[in-house]
Amino acid sequence: MSTALATADKRRTTLSNGRPAPPARAAARRRRRGWGPTVFAVPALLWYGVFMAGPVVAMFVISLNKWASLISPHEFTGTDNYRRVFDDPAFYDALRNTGVQLGVALPLMIPLAFMLGYYLQLRPPGHRVLRVLCFTPGLLSLSAKAMIFMGMLAPEGGVNGLLRTAGLGSAATPWLADPSTALAAVILVDVWAGIGYTAVLFAARLASVPDGVYEAAALDGAGHWRRMWQVAFPVCKGFVGVATMLQFLWTLFNSSATVLMLTKGGPGTSSTTLSYLMYQRAFLQQDVGYSQAVGVLLFVLGLAGMVVIRRVLRQNY
Amino acid sequence: MLAGHVLAWSYALLLLLPLYYLLTTSLKDNAEVFAHPFSLPGQWLFDNFADAWDLASLGPALGNSVLITAGAEAITLALAFPAAYGLARSGGRTAAVVERIFGIGFLIPAFAALVPTVLLAIELEMFQMQAFLILFLPATALPLSVILLTQFMRTIPAELEESAMMDGAGRWTVLWRIYVPMSAPGVITVAILNFLGFWNEYLFSLVILGPDPELRTVQVALPSLVSATMVQYGILAAACLITLVPVYSVYVALQRRMESALVDGAVKS
Repeated sequence: MSTALATADKRRTTLSNGRPAPPARAAARRRRRGWGPTVFAVPALLWYGVFMAGPVVAMFVISLNKWASLISPHEFTGTDNYRRVFDDPAFYDALRNTGVQLGVALPLMIPLAFMLGYYLQLRPPGHRVLRVLCFTPGLLSLSAKAMIFMGMLAPEGGVNGLLRTAGLGSAATPWLADPSTALAAVILVDVWAGIGYTAVLFAARLASVPDGVYEAAALDGAGHWRRMWQVAFPVCKGFVGVATMLQFLWTLFNSSATVLMLTKGGPGTSSTTLSYLMYQRAFLQQDVGYSQAVGVLLFVLGLAGMVVIRRVLRQNY
Repeated sequence: MLAGHVLAWSYALLLLLPLYYLLTTSLKDNAEVFAHPFSLPGQWLFDNFADAWDLASLGPALGNSVLITAGAEAITLALAFPAAYGLARSGGRTAAVVERIFGIGFLIPAFAALVPTVLLAIELEMFQMQAFLILFLPATALPLSVILLTQFMRTIPAELEESAMMDGAGRWTVLWRIYVPMSAPGVITVAILNFLGFWNEYLFSLVILGPDPELRTVQVALPSLVSATMVQYGILAAACLITLVPVYSVYVALQRRMESALVDGAVKS
């Protein structure tokens, strides 16, 4: 394929000039327009196309079909699935839960992680130990995290044990089975692990801020609080935006596994997030068309969220 | 500053608490877990580990996880390495477009393609086959692998390659003799990130391979210990610790490299 393109390219050069182009210029042109060494990327590109891009495009197609179980026949029904989604109270519950999840997790995680990152970057005593601790949950798999918190939050688990020891036994509750705390438990798992890992990322970015910048602020009498938010934060704003975007996508899409293992979306729909709704309808309730309509909406929401985060946390100096 | 110390170390305590709970629980039986959740085990029940191993069939599960992780890792590197070389060494517009595609791909979560991927597996008659997972998982890791390796290879001077080609070396020779050894640190970074991603992968392994103990990975085997009737928390904690051993052994052996890999994966992309 590359040779064919290169030949075509050469022919065009010849024709446009009416005579063969000087070899150096032809080579330069080929470098600019043709594939050149880029052919080495073709296998990776094809692989990505078949196993990722293809399925993502297929999601849009499936969402326009009546499609019950994975192996049943399907027929084109247009926007029928979307109409069913928008008529379904469960969808609005899931939308609300996802909203709560994002609205609590991100504002909690990003500022705390930034402060912890700033702290780590000052290299206070014990910062090495702290750094290792912050990394630890980042290495845990979703199922390990879910199982740890399943134990902690069980009716007779660690959290209730602590509460009883502290004389607060009346506050003990079956956290995962209580409709008012189930969603909070799911959010807790993400925030618990996310702060430390994001903090280490921020510390790495903050380490590249020249010391002189802080010193100037210190001479002006700025304490750590002002240095952190009025010097360090504006310098790193763009990077904070990138980290927020990654956490946003992670929270939006990957909560399904945590929900599946901890609460199965219940009790009722109290902890059903959009991504879990998509999983549940496809694999537990045999409604693939509905599930993929939710998937498309989730995708659109992801895009919209990225645009908003980019606007809000843009590097602006 | 005092407030900083207090806040940072309270979070450290919050990180440690569940991990301490996990360690101590793994040596207790349910009665003791319920009665004294945070005390050290009165009697160290090492049997929990043996029970976990048998009940969740962790032996075959570990084997499956090793096979899938290693297979997917090999394919990812075999695809990403030449791709990164090509992108790093051609300054043309096509290369810029291809790099852009991988850049966008990095932002599309694999989860979006969950259901169509299962349909693809059925279509290829590879549903409930580990081979499909070995072929599929590299696609989820390719964007980041290609981006990071391309950035790394840009730092290798092009003159090395030009003088080798002057001496009559072909592209593949250049790739194998110059780029493989010189980009070893970049390859290690990417390999570590992919190892973590593949080893810890849960949802695709669950829906593609299903609950069959002969096929499933450790990440799917672990939650299988939660039965509807009565969870044995000690055994569950023991199983959890067993699944963490491979990742934490790599972490202890390569701590610096692993930490910088995790940071690079987010910062440089």
